[in-house]
Amino acid sequence: MGIKLTLIRQPTVPLEAEVLCPDTLADCSADEIAQLTIYHGKRQLPLSDFFEIEGEKSDEIEIHGDLKKVRWIGRGMSRGRLKIQGDVGMHLGAYMRDGLIEVKGDAGDWIGAEMKKGTIRIDGNAGGQIGAAYRGSRRGMRGGLIHVTGSAGLEVGMRMRRGIIVIGGSTRDFTGLQMKGGTILLGEGAEIRTGAWMNRGTIISLKALEVMPTFGIAIRQFTPPFMPLLAKALVSEGITLPENKSFDLYNGDLAVPGRGELLVLSS
Amino acid sequence: MLRITGGKVYDPANKIDGQIKDLNIDADGKFSDGQCDSRTIDATGMIVMPGGVDVHTHVAGGAINFARAMTPEDHRRTQAFIRTKTRRSGLGGMAPTTFATGYLYAGMGWTTVNEAAVPVLSARHTHEELADIPIVDKSTLTLMANNEIMLDQMEAGEYERARDVVAWYIWAAKSYGVKAVNPGGVAAWKWGGDARNLSSPIEGYNKLTPGTIVTQLARICDDLGLPHPMHLHCNDLGAPGNIKTTLDTLKHLEGSRAHIAHSQYHAYGGDGWETICSATAELAEYFNSHPNITTDAGAVIFGDTVTITADGPWQHLLYKLTGRKWGNLDVENETGCGIVPYTYRPSNLVNAVQWACGLELLLLIQSPWQVFLSTDHPNGGCFWRYPEIIKLLMSRDFRDECIKKLPSNIKNKIVLPEIAREYTLMDVATSMSAGPARALGLKQKGNLGTGCDGDVVIYDQEDDPGEMFAHPRYVIKAGEVIIDDGEIREAPDGREYIAKPFYDPATNDFMRPLFEDCYTMQFENYPVEIERVHGASIHDCKNDQDS
Amino acid sequence: MGGKVTCTLGEVKQRADFIIYWGGNPAECHPRHFSKYTLMQKSKFLPKGRKDRTMVLVDIRETKSVKASDIFLQVRPGKDFELITILRALVKEQQVTDEQIEETGLSREALNDLVSRMKAAKFGCMFFGMGLSMTRGKHMNSAALLTLAAEMNAFTKFVAMPMRGHGNVTGADVIMRWQTGFPFGISFNRGYPRYNPGEFSTIDVLVRGDCDAAFIIGADPGGTMPQPAINHLKRIPTIVLDPHITHTSKLARVHITTAAQGIAAPGTAYRMDEIPMPLKPALKSPYPSDEEVVRRINEAIAKKPFWLPEGSMPQMVTEQV
Ligand SMILES: [Zn+2]
Repeated sequence: MGIKLTLIRQPTVPLEAEVLCPDTLADCSADEIAQLTIYHGKRQLPLSDFFEIEGEKSDEIEIHGDLKKVRWIGRGMSRGRLKIQGDVGMHLGAYMRDGLIEVKGDAGDWIGAEMKKGTIRIDGNAGGQIGAAYRGSRRGMRGGLIHVTGSAGLEVGMRMRRGIIVIGGSTRDFTGLQMKGGTILLGEGAEIRTGAWMNRGTIISLKALEVMPTFGIAIRQFTPPFMPLLAKALVSEGITLPENKSFDLYNGDLAVPGRGELLVLSS
Repeated sequence: MLRITGGKVYDPANKIDGQIKDLNIDADGKFSDGQCDSRTIDATGMIVMPGGVDVHTHVAGGAINFARAMTPEDHRRTQAFIRTKTRRSGLGGMAPTTFATGYLYAGMGWTTVNEAAVPVLSARHTHEELADIPIVDKSTLTLMANNEIMLDQMEAGEYERARDVVAWYIWAAKSYGVKAVNPGGVAAWKWGGDARNLSSPIEGYNKLTPGTIVTQLARICDDLGLPHPMHLHCNDLGAPGNIKTTLDTLKHLEGSRAHIAHSQYHAYGGDGWETICSATAELAEYFNSHPNITTDAGAVIFGDTVTITADGPWQHLLYKLTGRKWGNLDVENETGCGIVPYTYRPSNLVNAVQWACGLELLLLIQSPWQVFLSTDHPNGGCFWRYPEIIKLLMSRDFRDECIKKLPSNIKNKIVLPEIAREYTLMDVATSMSAGPARALGLKQKGNLGTGCDGDVVIYDQEDDPGEMFAHPRYVIKAGEVIIDDGEIREAPDGREYIAKPFYDPATNDFMRPLFEDCYTMQFENYPVEIERVHGASIHDCKNDQDS
Repeated sequence: MGGKVTCTLGEVKQRADFIIYWGGNPAECHPRHFSKYTLMQKSKFLPKGRKDRTMVLVDIRETKSVKASDIFLQVRPGKDFELITILRALVKEQQVTDEQIEETGLSREALNDLVSRMKAAKFGCMFFGMGLSMTRGKHMNSAALLTLAAEMNAFTKFVAMPMRGHGNVTGADVIMRWQTGFPFGISFNRGYPRYNPGEFSTIDVLVRGDCDAAFIIGADPGGTMPQPAINHLKRIPTIVLDPHITHTSKLARVHITTAAQGIAAPGTAYRMDEIPMPLKPALKSPYPSDEEVVRRINEAIAKKPFWLPEGSMPQMVTEQV
């Protein structure tokens, strides 16, 4: 028996609700949940002003409704499961430490920003700065997995250090910007400036994309030895990689100079 | 207006060392002999000291404001000041915002701060920022040692002209005194160079050396009768083996008053990063035999900070060493500044030596009237961490505990483990308040005597001095209770102290063409109008013409 | 991680023997820049003035500024970031192929020549305009040029600075920084300043419809912002302080006419290099200054109940749960 929350009225300005997090809700009775503070703009309101609440004391949470303006859900969560039916706003699962977030709908910017561990799955499109470093931070995500079935925005995986980001569709500019480690897998390629200023880490694209002029071709028609391992790791997440494909391997970004790897499916 | 009764008073300026004494503050916010029958604070069992005075800090102006913009990651994790009825919002951390700066200093019992590096060109900006730092009283020092118009006079042997130029600049900036940073080195940095040797001519000059600048500028400050002597950031900051340069600099100062800024950064032996070691014993010996020279520690505390200094070449080196962000701003004709975020780590041998050096100087220089508590905020650490340093000074056991966490190969590089001295409360009161106030020439500060400003800090006596000094029970500024039980009760505006040295009225005409040659603003727009300085309090200087 | 290495304009006037304008048209947009700061001035270091200086212009099209330049590099539209990134690689002697260079519209010879001139300069300065900072890539384009300038200091003295548009943009930036720690894009909804460009920057807030009122001073977003942002301004109560009738004042619920800053109201303007300049008004205005209007609004608000309910304290949003 989990907790079910349903949005009962649309916020007129952003609604910041970091209390919507298994760590916070797991120890709360129904009354306590209703009294948790959320921020509608500058107004502090009880959660029950915006949500109908069923259940209590659980780290299995379901949230329903058009949550596009609701921000910071699952901030820093370390356990349990968040299931979201509907579109969701910025900073979903930011600073996440463990657990699972599943969204049926689209997500906003900054999902999984600076996360350390855990899994975020978006069955839909997502915004920019996925798994990224917040402005000025030296490091983005440090572990875990983010999977977006649809497309994503700018600066995906900016300054990420470790972990995996899988985007089923395509991404916009600056994917893997200043990347320091980890893996980004792009199902449908990306717009421009992929891997700009990257230092280390791996970007794999299953579709041709525009390579930055500061990446040097290392090997053509290359079968990366780690692909079976990656494929195996992703199978449990329901992601299947095409087998026996060969890639063109580029190294860069020479401007840094960095030793990142950009693997683009050979045409 | 306010009466404080029954407290144990530590008032070094009046040689009161822990005696029980009542204090009265009159309606003008000054200590008085007469009793007044208004609010009384019963300080029985509590410790009473004059409000802290920071002789060297960087809290307002172009450089710290540059640092703020460069460190959003720190602002996110730091203590936030949420707006309430008595205070405005802001952020603490490595480079606190203006309102927060006032609350943090006052919250710790400091009531006067000296902003130690102001280019004249942006002095108007600095004063506007200082107006937004509530509660504390303030003063500023003008950066002079790389001012090319002044250097040209020195090169030409025109001492009187140079003196008039300095006085003209101080009044144009509406500042309180002179700061010299890496004399000649910042000017050389404008071509990517540095000046690390006192007796070699500076890049771009035929005979002018850093040594000449040091000697002449110190003399100028004395001749102008400035309340505070030349405030000197020596050449060769932070470099292994720089003790030679520092001692050489001190020899160039013989016969003058001077304040040596953040001497920790200038007290290293060795000849490279592997061999760097403490040379504080030599430096302390010099201070112990030259009572006319004062210094502040510029102590290092482990943790994150952001370094900001007018020493551009040092900052470029630090950027190369850390590979982190780097900000640099060269200011036409006058100076420059560099900004690099930095983390001091106990596991890093160089940082460990620096940490020990700061404490060693505070302990080895015998008179607390000569060495003052500072971290060169934010360079060695943030000012709101001063209570940690006080604890280290007061407890040898605590020091020993901290030394255990340093790399084992530090043993023969530092002398701290052998120092037995522990600060008394009287030592603390001298080093944090009475001493710096006297060095700044602020006679009304750091002194609980009749007629002085009613700035008082009252502590509950606690076993842990770190806790005690971090959380005063009361802080009183000009007789007003500012902090009561950790809460900000009032946030009045502070004053700003300004010095008005004499200069030949013809200096204005002399300056105009030189100014128009190298500056890019109108001559008339350059001096800060006195109306723009919030709460200005002008100190008329006695110069040699009068005496 | 790069950073920002800059100087005041007087340093450029005195020392800069090598000047690059990138994505700007100073001849038309900042007409006095050449004569006051960058090209025509003589100094003790550059006694021959213009002859002692080299000026490079990088832009996607030929403008009137080309005539003033010694070298004009026409970059292919949308390739600024790539070109700067190639330069960063070339100064470090990394291998970039001819084809890769040619994608930017420039030849290897041109770039080699540029790099060797940059390294040979005694004092280099890069100015960048909206052609760089407001085109695709935006803040990353600016970051690229700032990083290149910072990295050039391994070889010689180099600085960079943005050419700001009109109005006291820099002044707002400077004051926001000292009061809040951040230059723009700030939210106070939790009672303390938070920063996130893209989330809290004005255009994004308006386009997403994230605010329910707007208060505008010294700007005309109704004339410059994208249509969805303008539409939102029309939907919500918008209040404008401006001496003139503007696009924004026409769509606003309330327009308070104020005295023109600098002409009829005193204050401080911050130059593009953050040097504060006193504004000394020459005229008297029958209208109040912006400052006075804001102060009176503040006084009126202070009479209302405090925004924070008694006994409540908002929480910070941090990493910690
Ligand atoms: Zn300093």
